Amino acid sequence: MSRDDRLRLAFVGMHPARRGALTEKYGSAGAVVRAVESGAEPVPAAARAAALQSPGRLLGVLRDAGVRPLMNGDPEYPAHLAVLPGAPDVLFVRGELPPVPGVAVVGTRRSTGYGRSLAAAYGSAIADAGWVVVSGLARGIDGAAHRGHVAAGGVGVAVLGSGPDVVYPPEHRDLHDALLSGGGAVVSEYPPGVPPNGWRFPPRNRIISGLSAAVVVVEAPVTGGALVTAAAALDQGRTLFAVPGDVDRTTSRGCNLLIRDGAIPVLDPGDLVEALSLVSSLPRPAATRNAAGADPVLAAVGASGCTVEELAVKTGLDAADVLRRVARLELAGLLCRRGGVVMRGR
Amino acid sequence: MFAAVSSVALVGVDPVPVKVEVHVSGGNRGLHLVGLPDTAVREAKDRVRAAVASSGFRFPNRPVTVNLAPADIPKAGSAYDLPIALGVLAAAGLVPHGVCDVVALGELALDGAVRAARGSLGAASVALETGRPCLVPASSLAEACLVAGADVRGVRSLAHAVAVALGDADGEAVPATTGGAGGAPVDLASVRGQAVARRALEIAAAGAHHLLLEGPPGAGKTLLARSLPGILPPLGPDEALEVARAWAAAGRHCSAPFRPPFRSPHHTATVAALVGGGSGSPVPGELTLAHRGVLFLDELGEFPGQLLDALRQPVEEGVVHVARKGATVRFPCEVQVIAATNPCPCGFLTDRRQACRCSSRALDRYRRRLSGPLVDRFDMRVEVARLAADELLSRPGEASAAVAARVAAARARQAERGALNGNLNRDALDAAPRTPEAVGLLRAAIDRLGLTGRGFDRVRRVARTVADLAGADVVGADHVEEALSFRGPA
Repeated sequence: MSRDDRLRLAFVGMHPARRGALTEKYGSAGAVVRAVESGAEPVPAAARAAALQSPGRLLGVLRDAGVRPLMNGDPEYPAHLAVLPGAPDVLFVRGELPPVPGVAVVGTRRSTGYGRSLAAAYGSAIADAGWVVVSGLARGIDGAAHRGHVAAGGVGVAVLGSGPDVVYPPEHRDLHDALLSGGGAVVSEYPPGVPPNGWRFPPRNRIISGLSAAVVVVEAPVTGGALVTAAAALDQGRTLFAVPGDVDRTTSRGCNLLIRDGAIPVLDPGDLVEALSLVSSLPRPAATRNAAGADPVLAAVGASGCTVEELAVKTGLDAADVLRRVARLELAGLLCRRGGVVMRGR
Repeated sequence: MFAAVSSVALVGVDPVPVKVEVHVSGGNRGLHLVGLPDTAVREAKDRVRAAVASSGFRFPNRPVTVNLAPADIPKAGSAYDLPIALGVLAAAGLVPHGVCDVVALGELALDGAVRAARGSLGAASVALETGRPCLVPASSLAEACLVAGADVRGVRSLAHAVAVALGDADGEAVPATTGGAGGAPVDLASVRGQAVARRALEIAAAGAHHLLLEGPPGAGKTLLARSLPGILPPLGPDEALEVARAWAAAGRHCSAPFRPPFRSPHHTATVAALVGGGSGSPVPGELTLAHRGVLFLDELGEFPGQLLDALRQPVEEGVVHVARKGATVRFPCEVQVIAATNPCPCGFLTDRRQACRCSSRALDRYRRRLSGPLVDRFDMRVEVARLAADELLSRPGEASAAVAARVAAARARQAERGALNGNLNRDALDAAPRTPEAVGLLRAAIDRLGLTGRGFDRVRRVARTVADLAGADVVGADHVEEALSFRGPA
């Protein structure tokens, strides 16, 4: 299989399951591309047009979008993903994809404030421990988890269900930018410009768990993407954690079921870090920390939050300075205040 | 056979001149008192008769008519004893008519001694206006002396009063002024740690902002509140006079009201005790006693809604109107409100070590009280945390005097502009100069922090004060950022 054919096939942007089936049927990526070209395999006109571009042209598109294609088998293609059946043949990457597995923090988009503050706290704690946070940049839990690691100055990877250059939801643009400037990566198996169609998200979830050594489900109803990720994690042999919740709360039912079926229950962020340190496939590096020093106030807040007064004591800054910094970080969506306690996330 | 002595009546806190007219004629003996006297005034008859006799005069054995003019203002209290006695003596020809050329006030004992009575401050004001000397009980001398320029003379007895009025004797010496309204304030040096709350207190003092302190029991909210008067600028002579008048109207003496008063009414107080009222002639409440000073509402969440509602309009307008049959009385109440509250009835809602024991119903009720229209007027909210051990052991904080100096400088800047920041309305805030960055921050705050219109104004008022404390003419981003931290829940 030539690299050019594999790239052209990836640019068709078809459902990963179908692409897999067609590759098997025709024997090679090149054969599939030719079947698409000839019209033997019906695909939408736009997808066909994309596949018809010359490889040089496609590389130009990627260059313009600031995207690098990583092919399964390339030295940079993460080994922990490569070994999995159904691993994407081509991964489109923006930013720096860490070579080591991370910890996925996922959950429902229709989350509670409690769930989001927990997700942010876990994101921070994981980043503080020096691990990479992997999630899906979606509304709700995913976004909160990303805010957590951004606030802690850690590295994160967002796996998208759209093209790597299509930020969805749009209100997470600032988060997306902060993630990239913090030394993280945005990855997708879909080519640049692909819109966030609903059917693209479930297959995306296997990449989230695939890039991770452990998956933490914060809030999830019994149906939805978070449980898809959990199922993929189990298939891939990843360690599964779930945050317990009220038994009659829909947003916690999925998590509670996972715990009943053997997932490890997670308590506070410290407890999570302790449990994660027992996961053998997780590295112990401090190298994934981004060098750009976070605000001292942000660092002092810690994973479980503290009062403004405590911040003044911890940082040794004068009160007016602490107050200004808190307001600035609040406006940036990195801190929030709940009943007198300053916490990471929003 | 006629004599008239000036005295004073109080309408609200305002002194109104009263003429005590005495007529001695032929006919049946007796003393008749007219001109809306209350019971205490009516009883003056017997005290005056005894005091005159005890002072070595022979009470006229003829009918005496006393009129307190104007006849349509109610007169209360025992303060008319002295002017009535002087009038009787002059009208009966027992002393020269010159004794009537004074403003007099005082209660008479049966032995002729002059006792303290309400209204000496008002008497001094009337004396100043009419250019007459003012005779007040020696014990009320300090209060009356607050009226600069008035010729105030303290008298011990009726005989002494006659001699002083005729210029034959000197009045009592003015005592040294001591004490202030509401006791000595706590010095900030005794507050350990609490850097953020101290900063909030300084800003609140500098801009006269209403401040809400929230925090668990034992965090030091009350101590902080009590230190506020100590960092406020001392009152000027006119303000001090207003305070003394307000206190005098409540029948309380305030000998050196140059320190801003500090009043701390309990949440079980009645509406009348808080804002003023009462049967008969209205008496000012705690709100007016705190005029030009601090009204501290401790345990704000425990105050019944009806009390908080009664406070709202007066606090906003700086004046209480008490309506009574015939007339409405105005009591001044320009106060700075500082309130303290636990985050919930048990106090541990935000505590991360101890669990809250409140029921959700109790929490709901509590929250509703803390989001009422009065609380909406608080420009600043700050959380006071319980101190950690190393903070308790830390060295004392900055003393009140140092903070007061910064507050005074910020107040001076506001005085040049003509209004305290805590009183700025939306138009004034719109007109205030600010940098483009500050405007951008305010816009971002509205978009991202859900700031409401009223919250927006509050942040701008506080930002103006932060700028004043920094000595800046233009409100900048730094100032807005700091103000945003005190905005409380949107």
